[in-house]
Amino acid sequence: MSEIGLLQSALLLGVYVALAGSYGLVYTIARIQDAISLYRLSLVLYGLHGLTAIAIVAWTPLHIGWKGLIVASSAAFLAIPPITWRLLQRTHEPEVRG
Amino acid sequence: MYRSQKLALKYLTAAITLFGIMTVAGLMSAYYYINPDFLFGILHFNIAKILHIDTMIIWLLMGFMGAIYWFLPEEFGRELVGIKLAEILFYVFFGAVVVVAVVFIVVQYGNSDETALWFINQGRKYVEAPRWAAIGVVVVMAVFAYNVIGTAYVTGKVSGITAVLMVDLVPLLVLYLDAFPAISNMSADLFWWWWLVHLWVEATWEVLIGCIMAWSLMQLLGTSRRIVETWLYIEVALVLGTGILGLGHHYFWIGAPSYWLTIGGLFSAFEPLPLLGMVVHAVYDAGTHHMKTTNRPAFYWLMAEAFGNFLGGGVWGFMMTLPQVNLYAHGTQWTVSHGHFAFWGAYACGVLSVIYLVIQKLRSLTQVDGALWKWSFAALNLGLVGMVGALLVSGFAQAFIERAIGGSTHDAFIAGQSSPWFVEGMVTRFIFGLMFAAGYVALVWDLLTIGKRAPVLATAGAAE
Amino acid sequence: MHVDDPAFWRAGAISTVSIMSVVLVMLTIDSLAAISPGGSNVPLYTVINQHIDYKFDDKRGNDMPVIRGAEPLFGKAVDAAAAEALIDKGKMVIQSRSCIDCHTFFGNGAYYAPDLTKAWLDPAWETWKIITGTKTREDAMVKFLMHPDKYRIWTRAMPNLDITQQEAEALVAYLKWMSAVDTNGFPANFGRMQQKQ
Repeated sequence: MSEIGLLQSALLLGVYVALAGSYGLVYTIARIQDAISLYRLSLVLYGLHGLTAIAIVAWTPLHIGWKGLIVASSAAFLAIPPITWRLLQRTHEPEVRG
Repeated sequence: MYRSQKLALKYLTAAITLFGIMTVAGLMSAYYYINPDFLFGILHFNIAKILHIDTMIIWLLMGFMGAIYWFLPEEFGRELVGIKLAEILFYVFFGAVVVVAVVFIVVQYGNSDETALWFINQGRKYVEAPRWAAIGVVVVMAVFAYNVIGTAYVTGKVSGITAVLMVDLVPLLVLYLDAFPAISNMSADLFWWWWLVHLWVEATWEVLIGCIMAWSLMQLLGTSRRIVETWLYIEVALVLGTGILGLGHHYFWIGAPSYWLTIGGLFSAFEPLPLLGMVVHAVYDAGTHHMKTTNRPAFYWLMAEAFGNFLGGGVWGFMMTLPQVNLYAHGTQWTVSHGHFAFWGAYACGVLSVIYLVIQKLRSLTQVDGALWKWSFAALNLGLVGMVGALLVSGFAQAFIERAIGGSTHDAFIAGQSSPWFVEGMVTRFIFGLMFAAGYVALVWDLLTIGKRAPVLATAGAAE
Repeated sequence: MHVDDPAFWRAGAISTVSIMSVVLVMLTIDSLAAISPGGSNVPLYTVINQHIDYKFDDKRGNDMPVIRGAEPLFGKAVDAAAAEALIDKGKMVIQSRSCIDCHTFFGNGAYYAPDLTKAWLDPAWETWKIITGTKTREDAMVKFLMHPDKYRIWTRAMPNLDITQQEAEALVAYLKWMSAVDTNGFPANFGRMQQKQ
């Protein structure tokens, strides 16, 4: 890996996870406040996360296996906030009712 | 109040004291980079760094123990079995820490024989404490386990949280036995050493703090036991599911077989996934309670825990965990940046949160709030983020110049360390370190006085 | 069993932890064979009698130690027992002086001083041969380790840790042996950059 490639790859990998986190954060706030605009923002953030994933696949010298993992992780990152949300609601339901 | 809870207060006080020593030793370690002649010939970098890291381990451990001694009697509805022994051992533990620190500072090192390892310094990172003291740690942990398991046995009351805790205490104790050997073969030595360091920090400690957070949430937000236990199990499954083989990312370069590159990279790439779930969970809790709580500092430190863990462990970790990047990033200030952020987020914030909860009960406060905790919260967190940001810049420069361009030789090391990016990063780190230290002072002042001084909000209102 | 039921997740936690632990134990058994002296990744201690180099391996795609020909340390070949004694002593020096709290070994330790993984192969010893007035790399290393304060070449200096001649020789043997460990290419390009210049 070239020295520039090293820094580019690392920064992209960091931004990749940070954007996934921002998406999860905004998604959850959107659900709590029932705010459609925030929900759209969360999708924009996920879109940016997806673009970062594409940039990692297209531009970094990472091996193909790691690139596959990046794509698979993106799918997982997309699903985690809604799944966690649903599970949270289900587990808290008896408490809310009771 | 139970005697166990009085013991908890002692442990938490000791933890906060050692947190201060850690901060001072950290500032010293940072200052050596700026002025290498500092205390040269008197006290060298390695001793300051040992004090910094070892007090970090001990204050967090004492914080966990304090938190558990606090919550357990309420959980069991009775005094802990063997509490007298635990009380005596607290003084032995704290005294031993002081003796070890004095020996590190005064004697520093010995000859290359077993005597040095038994009485002065074992010279293995994180577990430098001489063997006699390490035996002391084993005894303390064994009595701690006896307190927990013995009380559970006597009362016959085993909740989900205490069951998880009891199971966790076994590896916590067994893995620490790895603090003793002096294996000549460095590859084998580091292989086992990582069992201790990684499986303690990224497995058994995660479970400990998970149990503590479960009790905290029940107290702070009134969440039901059924819910916190469900989530504790989920956390154990996910964190250990990714963390146990995540151990592999420490085996990339120590001489271990190359399949660890794949296994370690894969499992540590999974590690951010549960951390995202934790962020969602924290925001959910904050939202459903409309950020309203009777203990704002505890609540904010709990939030800092979730976000710090995601950023420090997740984002910072993922930047450097894939083998192709790690080949250059490993063992540079980049690692230091990640380490600071992850420890802070995963553990320190959680312990501070519990301490505020304990203070609320201790002083029977209906509302814990004020201005000072905000200052300390801001200074500690900004100081920490500033430090890790600066360290990251230095680490990038080091990886770039020393590792990728220079090929990691002695001259390349000097070239990297002399680069303006590196040097300025180190100066900035020190400045933010001072901010962190100021935050620590404000924290101690707040912990000593909160609830005792006139309510700040009322005073502010009167002034207007 | 249902996802709302804590028992569902308890079962999940127990099975995940068990499976992962079993896999870890199996991999550990395999790894221990590879990293014991004479295993696939870690050389016998008698490697200190040989010439060691570090070259890029096209097949593996990373740098690898290359061991060939005789090059006894301090000009005197040692048998297996003597080599082991030297390595044992060297490790004791490393631990008693807590070298790892300034330096790194295989990148593990503190970051105040250079990584020692391939220190034996460092081109800088050529300079130290001149500074210390010695003829061989190992003699230069011994002199430096015994009196690092005398041969200070940079603002950050190694303190004098009262290392004796015997301890310094054991330490040099240790560093030589360690440079022959297959570290999956860490550090990359070691020493080649200077050669190119």
